[in-house]
Amino acid sequence: MLTFVIVYYGVLIAASCAAAYFKQRQAFQLLFSLLLVSMVVGIVGGAAGLRFIAIAACLLAAAAGISYAFREFLVQIAKPSLARELRTAPLTAAFGMFIIFVYAVAAIFAPWIAPFGQAEVIDSAFAPADDKMLLGADQLGRDMFSRLIYAARNTVGLALSATILAFLMGAGAGLWAAVRGGWFDTAFGRVVDILMSIPSLIFALLILSIFGTNLTIIVVVVAIMYAPRVFRLTRAVAGNVVVMDYIEAARLRGEGDWFLIRREILPNTTAPLIAEFGLEFCFVFLLMAGLSFLGLGIQPPTADWGSMVRENATLISFGEITPLIPAAAIALLTVAVNFVVDWMLFRSSGLKER
Amino acid sequence: MDKLLRLIGQRLGLGLLTLLVVSVLIFSAVELLPGDLAEAVLGQAATEETVAAMREQLGLDRSAPVRYLEWLSGAVVGDFGNSLISGERVSDAISERFSNTLMLAAYAAVIAVPISILLGIMVALLRNTLFDRVANVMTLTSISSPEFFLGYILILYFSVKTGWFPAIASQMGDTSLGDYLYRTFLPALALVLVVTAHMMRMTRAAIINLLASPYIEMARLKGVSPLKVIVKHALPNAWAPIINVVALNLAYLITGVVLVEVVFVYPGIGQLLVDAVAKRDFAIVQACCLIFAATFILLNLAADVGSILTNPRLRHPK
Repeated sequence: MLTFVIVYYGVLIAASCAAAYFKQRQAFQLLFSLLLVSMVVGIVGGAAGLRFIAIAACLLAAAAGISYAFREFLVQIAKPSLARELRTAPLTAAFGMFIIFVYAVAAIFAPWIAPFGQAEVIDSAFAPADDKMLLGADQLGRDMFSRLIYAARNTVGLALSATILAFLMGAGAGLWAAVRGGWFDTAFGRVVDILMSIPSLIFALLILSIFGTNLTIIVVVVAIMYAPRVFRLTRAVAGNVVVMDYIEAARLRGEGDWFLIRREILPNTTAPLIAEFGLEFCFVFLLMAGLSFLGLGIQPPTADWGSMVRENATLISFGEITPLIPAAAIALLTVAVNFVVDWMLFRSSGLKER
Repeated sequence: MDKLLRLIGQRLGLGLLTLLVVSVLIFSAVELLPGDLAEAVLGQAATEETVAAMREQLGLDRSAPVRYLEWLSGAVVGDFGNSLISGERVSDAISERFSNTLMLAAYAAVIAVPISILLGIMVALLRNTLFDRVANVMTLTSISSPEFFLGYILILYFSVKTGWFPAIASQMGDTSLGDYLYRTFLPALALVLVVTAHMMRMTRAAIINLLASPYIEMARLKGVSPLKVIVKHALPNAWAPIINVVALNLAYLITGVVLVEVVFVYPGIGQLLVDAVAKRDFAIVQACCLIFAATFILLNLAADVGSILTNPRLRHPK
């Protein structure tokens, strides 16, 4: 234990001195603040606290490393125009893209990655982890790890389809309202105001109590709940484009609404719309996770992160962290999407920073 | 002043109208039931006679608008009829739980509001420093985590591993305030974590937007001290966005509370709603939804009115 402490401080001090000597200001600040924090934690929490800090710092460093490498990889395979944008992406955004990539691989190749089927009973209930089952068994003796992988497909797929539906409705109505204007625009605006004044989780619960837990209904209801947000944004962004001269010119040429939307407005509104799609996905994903946590989402035996947390929650009172892994999976994906969206918003919007 | 009153009156009227439309939506949603209410409640085992008796008991022989008006006029004075499953009065089931939920939300708000506004202003002033970046990542992480994730993490570390706080907040009864605060600390903390992150980000955005405006730059250029710039120039205009942020997040608390209550088995209205949904007890579902929606709309209304009242340009018309 003592050697660990000595080596730990030694490495940190040496590294911060090296950073200071080579005039790497940011690296020095980072290393030295880590050193100060470690000193405080070391005094308060002893060697165990120090070990915790060391592990956390290593994890962060590993995450930063993989994000850096992934960004370089993307820059090399992307087209030149896109590569220039990607080069300016902060590490958090690169990390987000990497995580999304990993989730996509897990979801697409789920049957090949997962060692067992999602409804297959392997062992006794809550069997501990061994080399056959990486994370142990759940409350019915099914393999946790396989269910986690399959849930990537089920949970994310459902949230994605609801988001796409919400987006099609919201963005379609928004663009149309912007082009048409008049009473059509006003009517849509009023409906949206009312829909947005209902808390979404509550409304979803109301509808689910009536129609029962049916996947199609969940997707449609969630899409209707979140379409208004998309509508407002699209309407606002497209509203700024519609007053441009080139739209006027196209109108005078005799182009129809559909042409205006497709060829003139959409190309000029893609950046904020893509960012909004990411944000929207986060909201929908969290709402659906909440619903399935309440037992009202995807029904068993189909694997789903939200319901997995609930089913295995009893393990938490024995100090196990396995039930938290599906919840962490939800959080990680949402964080990743948020990181990417944050970067895109910063790039595309006129947020008055700097 | 006239203009101000008219604006507020308009907003209040609009809010009332929204509430009315929402109540129609909540009522008519049940009308969408396949078959009708009586069949849905009795389920598969229903015979002709029992369905007919149930219809009469529920008053389904009258037209929907009449029943809506009856339901609404009852709801206004706090009478939501009887539960479809247990037959007890809905208002009895709700009243105590509603005050429990309000207590929890108020507890969380009292902690979260001052902290998040202070931190939000600090982060806005220190923007683009390391501190700001770290705060940005932390708030994003907190926003992105489902409420039940935060709740279970708190249970795992503060209750199971260390035993500092009780994990379950179900036994209420006659407890002193101190005891209550101790027992409900973890659910309140879970709510605080989510809401603080939201509020910090919104406060930061509002303040940064404000600090970028030309008149602040003007004040700086003429040599006013930084503190004075903030207190005398920025703050009067910052109240409106800050009030907005607070009210919006309190409204958010109202929905976030449902999941947290379920995690901590807290006897609040959110848990009642979830149970009623599972049991398909529509009378309770409707009542809970109406209460949640009304609170949500009222808080949004408060946000609007607050920002109108604190807007210096409206208070001192030219």
